[in-house]
This record gives sequence, structure tokens and C-alpha cells, in this order.
Amino acid sequence: MPTHPTRFASGGRTIPIMMGLLAMLLVAIGIGVIFQNEANYREQKTRETNVQAEILAASVTAALDFQDAPTARESVDALRVNPQILAAGIYGKDGALFAGYERRPRSLPNRALAWPAAGDNMVLAVYPIVRSGERIGTVYLLSQREPLKRRITRYGIVALLLLLAAMIVTALGVAHNLLRRSNRALGERAEALSDAYAELQVQVEERARAEEQLRQAQKMQALGQLTGGIAHDFNNLLTVIQGSADILRRPDVDDAKRIRFAEAIVQTTGRAAALTAQLLAFSRRQPLKPQVIDLNRKIRAMTELLDRTLGERVEVVSDLAANPCRIEADPAQLEAAILNVAVNARDAMPGGGKLTIRTGSASLGEDKPAMALAFADTGSGIGEEDLARVFEPFFTTKAVGKGTGLGLSQVYGFAAQSGGDVRVDSRLGEGTTVTILLPCNLHGHEEAEEEIEARPVIVSRSGRILVVDDNEEVGMFAEILLQELGYEVRRATSGSEALELAQSERFDLVFTDVVMPGMSGLQLAEALDRARPGLPIILTTGFSDEVTRSGSGGRPVVFKPYRLEALTEAIDKALPRKV
Amino acid sequence: MARALPLIAARLLRGLFAASLLALSGPAPSQPSEAAVKAAFLGKFPAYVGWPAESRPAAGEPIILCLIGGDPFGKLIDDAVRGQQIDRHPIQVKRIPRPDDGAGCALAFVAGASTIEAMKGKPVLTVTDSRNSAQRGMIHFVVDQGRVRFHIDQAAAVRSRLAINSRLLALALTVKKD
Repeated sequence: MPTHPTRFASGGRTIPIMMGLLAMLLVAIGIGVIFQNEANYREQKTRETNVQAEILAASVTAALDFQDAPTARESVDALRVNPQILAAGIYGKDGALFAGYERRPRSLPNRALAWPAAGDNMVLAVYPIVRSGERIGTVYLLSQREPLKRRITRYGIVALLLLLAAMIVTALGVAHNLLRRSNRALGERAEALSDAYAELQVQVEERARAEEQLRQAQKMQALGQLTGGIAHDFNNLLTVIQGSADILRRPDVDDAKRIRFAEAIVQTTGRAAALTAQLLAFSRRQPLKPQVIDLNRKIRAMTELLDRTLGERVEVVSDLAANPCRIEADPAQLEAAILNVAVNARDAMPGGGKLTIRTGSASLGEDKPAMALAFADTGSGIGEEDLARVFEPFFTTKAVGKGTGLGLSQVYGFAAQSGGDVRVDSRLGEGTTVTILLPCNLHGHEEAEEEIEARPVIVSRSGRILVVDDNEEVGMFAEILLQELGYEVRRATSGSEALELAQSERFDLVFTDVVMPGMSGLQLAEALDRARPGLPIILTTGFSDEVTRSGSGGRPVVFKPYRLEALTEAIDKALPRKV
Repeated sequence: MARALPLIAARLLRGLFAASLLALSGPAPSQPSEAAVKAAFLGKFPAYVGWPAESRPAAGEPIILCLIGGDPFGKLIDDAVRGQQIDRHPIQVKRIPRPDDGAGCALAFVAGASTIEAMKGKPVLTVTDSRNSAQRGMIHFVVDQGRVRFHIDQAAAVRSRLAINSRLLALALTVKKD
């Protein structure tokens, strides 16, 4: 925003000149008035003097006529009272002085003709003395035009006027100068401001660029950490799976060994699935399956597991609220969150310590009732710097391979998705308290937790199932599983192929992947609803975005990676079992 | 200061000189005789006197100055009135022995044994002189401090329906009123 200081200054020169001219005009008018008054006064004075001369002439006529000088002098002396009359002379017919009066010596000539012309400040009145139409003499009267005091006053007023005008002009000049100087200063300041503004903008841009670069760098760093953490964990898990599978492939494996290694593969895969679930929870791509839960019951159920997980050196103490409200959360995520916090607590107490698990009433935001689930450890605590970053994904203080940096991140994601909150209070050396706040569900009833028993799945099933998956291996895996369960299976690798098959053949159920090139699983399901109404459809996906966005249309969903039990359960629900 | 002193002295001298001039200018420069002054006065009185309408001279007619019972002036009075014009009236001097209505006197100088009684109540300005008459006319000459002055009897003038100008009254030594 460049300002133009010249705009302020441009009119600045003419104004003082105009004001000066105005002041001079005022002075001129003042002086004019004074001199006009003066002229009037002079004229009046002249008239006055003439009248006085006339009066004198009349009053001394007889005295002159009869040569009565004392009487004439008396008349003349009467003028003495007027200090402005300087001299008066009565002259006879022959021009000789008959009687007279003078205020100052030598101002009264002896002969009438010797009267000098009146000076600048004088009025000379000459009047004839006439008796019966005959001129018998002359009166000369010299009067001061104005008293000195009056003159001084007049010049004083003029001087005062000039002084005032000079003062006005000076004041104007000074004021104008000040104004110009302040204008200049203002202009300079405005310029400096605009310079500073431009510089600031450049800096802001630079900062934005730097921030962008920093974000990019952080992203890269995060990616590096992710790679380090996840790859390590996965490699471990894969090593177990690979090794176990290798052993199982050997021909001379006895039954006990086979079961042990198969179990190892199952467990390890479960852990791997949990790891990816954590990743998805972190990126909030995993839909929660919230249930109404009694928090105290959950903690009690987990105490034994926690004891075992945390080892002998960590004492686990629970302090549970008397009347907890029910909460609504995804039980699996809740368990994961509890485990994550507990493991962090254990890692903070390498020399052993105490973990206190507390439940209690709390509130969220504006008096929204909630349950607080607090984990207080007696560990090393978290430094202030790190405290601000604990929820950052992939942030970890643990050695590479010891942690993924996703633990608290999962806790945060879970709490946020459940409408709750997480707080971490910690001081270095004094332990850490992690508090998870979960909103109360005041209406729901706790669902009886289904104890998933290892049901024998050897129950014989029958029916035709169409498996749709664009991935050959996954499709084949599903086919094998379903064949194991006793179903007859046909496989399609795209939606359109599946639609064709469904129209030409009869199926009892369609098991389709959601995310496929071309026709998606959801589109296929809709098409099948129109083509073959009543045909049960089960959706499967490892990537819930599509389902989350469009909804499953009320259709059951089996999330990848799925286990045999989950698949069986979904199919059993969809297909009335023919026992 | 040293230069101012002679300046002041010069001014003083100048002042004295002017004062002496002023003093000299008071009396007439050339001293005329007492009779001449009185004669001149007699020629000037008519200018300061108003007569009733019926006794005013017609246009161009002279104002008649009568010398009754004697002439103390002789040629002096003739000189004094010669060329004298009072509102375009010349003055004519008549010498008569006694008051005479037919003479048409506007003013009368009464000298010697003659009496002013006869003119009482008539519009005639009577003038007498203390040197040669004990009786007093409306104007009565005296010599005061060496100067010719006069008394005025305004009451008598009023009785004779004459109006004497106040300027003349101002010159009189005394003015007699009722």
C-alpha cells in the first residue's frame, strides 16, 4: 500500500501565501480605514478652523473698526482654551497686525501677507473682517490639525496592526513548516510501513515455503519410521509364519508338531492382522463396531491378561468406580487401547513399578457424562517436549524395532472415534497418567458378550456359493475355505462376469469383494438385487472406505483378513442352515 | 548639551522680541489726535446702529450726521466720513446750531450749550463728549488711560427705538440699561 506523501504537501504552498495575502489585505483595509478617518477628521478640522476664524472675524469687527486693540485681544485670547490653535491674528485694512495671539513664539507674522503656507499638520484659515459690506481687515487662524496624542495613537494602531499581521504571517509560516515537516515524517513512516509490510509478506511466503518443506520432511521421516517399525514387526511375524509353513511342508511331521506350528501360524497372523488393524484405526479407515460395555467388567476380565503381559516386576492395581455408567465403544479397539497404554507403562518402568487402573465418573465438554479410565504408572515420565508429540503417529522414544509409534496414536484415534478424549499428564521422573474419557451411553443395554467358543466347524453344509474377487489368490483362498465347509463354489474375477454367471446358473449365496476394477461389489449387489431378488449377498473388504462412504445397504460385511469362524458365522446368518 | 544652551538662549530672545512686537501692536501705530479719533468714531457708529424703518434713508440717500451747537472737528470730520459707505449710504455732515427736525439727523453730536432734550424719544443717535458737555447722549465720549472710549446708554437708545449692535456694546466702557 504505497502512500503518496506529496498529496499532503501539494496544497501546502498556496495556503500560506493566500493567508499571508489575506493578512496583508486586512492590514491594508485597516490602514485604509484609519486614513479615511484621518481625511474626514482633517476636513472636519478645516471646517472647524474656518468657522472659528469666521466667529473671530465677527467678534472683532467693532474692535478693529474702533481700533480697540485690548477688546480685540480679549476676543482673540478666548481661543487660548483650544490648545490646537497655534496662532491667530487680526490684521487691519492695511495688512498690519492689530491684535493676535500665538502659542509658540514667532508663529504670528507682523504682516498679513507674511503668513506662511500651512504645514503638513496645520490648517490655516483666512477670513475677511467685513463691516457693512466693507472689508476692514482679515483674520488669520493657524490650527494644529490634530493633537500629538491622537497622532501617536494613530501610528500606534497602524504599528499594532502591522505587528499583528507580521505575527499572523510568522505563525502561519511556522505552522506550515511544522505541518510540512510532520507530513514528511508521516510520508516517511508510511513508506517505511509499506516496506516493512512487503518484507513481512516475503517472510510469510518464505515461512510458508519452509513449513511446506518441513511438512514434507516430516512426512518422509514418518514414512521412514513407519517403514522401520512396521517392516521390523512384520518381518518378525513373517519369519514365524514362513518358518512354521516350512516345517509343515516337510513330509515327516508328526501330528503334535503339525498342530503346534499351525497354531503358531494362526496366532502370528492374528498379530499381523492386529497390527494392520492398528494402522487402519490410526488412519480412521476402520469402521468401529460399537457395543454397550461395562468398563469395570472389561477391566476385571483383562486383569489376568495384563498381569501376564506386563510381567512380574509390574504390579497391577485396579481401583474401580462403584456405579459406573455404561459406555459405547468397539470392544476390540478398547482392548487394544488398554493394552497399548499398559505396554507403554511397562516400558516406562524397566526396573518395575506399579500400574494403577482407575475408573471414575467424568464429563466431556458441556456436562456430557462420561467415564474416565485412568492408567497411572510410577515410571520415568515424559519430558515436556515429548509430551506434546505423544499422540503423533510413528512418534516413539523406543529403539527402532521396539515400537511402531502407533500405540498412543491408536488410543487417540479410538477415543476420538468413540466421541471421547485422551489426556496425558506426566512429569519427568514422577510417572505418567493416561486418562481415556469415553461418553456414557444412558439408554443402551449391555449385550451379552458372545464367548466365541472354538466351535467345531465340521458341521456339514451344502449349497452353491458364487465367490467374486479380482485377486486370484484371495479368491482361491475363499474357494478352498468354502469347499472345506462343504459348499459348492463358482468363482468370478469381475462384477460383470459374476452377473452373467448369476443369470445363467442358480446360486444360494454370493460372496463378493467390494473394491474391484470396473463394477464394484456394491454395484454388483444392486444389480443382483434386481436380477435375482432374494439372493443373499455377503460383502468382504480389507478396505472399508467404500463401505463407509456408500454403506453396505444392510448387507453383512466380513472384513479381511477374515478367519474361518467369522466367515462361517456370516454365512450361517445369511443361509438358514440345513442340518 | 553644550550646543543646546545657545539654542535655548536664541529662542528666549526670539520670544522676547515677538512679545515686544505684540505689545507695540496694541495701540495705534501712528498716534492720531483725540479729535481725529472721535471724528473717525462718529463716522463708524452708523454701521452698528439700526434705525426704525420709517427713519431709514432711502436707497442712495446719505446718512446725515449732524454737529449741533458747535464743531470741534472741523476738517477732521469731513475727512473721516469721506468715501465712507454704510450699506451703500454715504455719510453727510450737517452743522446746525440747534436741534431741528427738518435737518433729518440720523445721529447728532451735541456740543456746547445745545441740549439733547429736544431729541428725546426721536430716532436720533445722540453723541456727547465729556470734554465739552456735561449732558450725556446715548454715546458719551471719554478719555480713559489716554485712549478715546465711550459709554453707551442703551436704555435711552431703546426708548428712541434704536438698536445698538452688541459688537459696539462690547467696546463701551459701560452700558447703561434700565
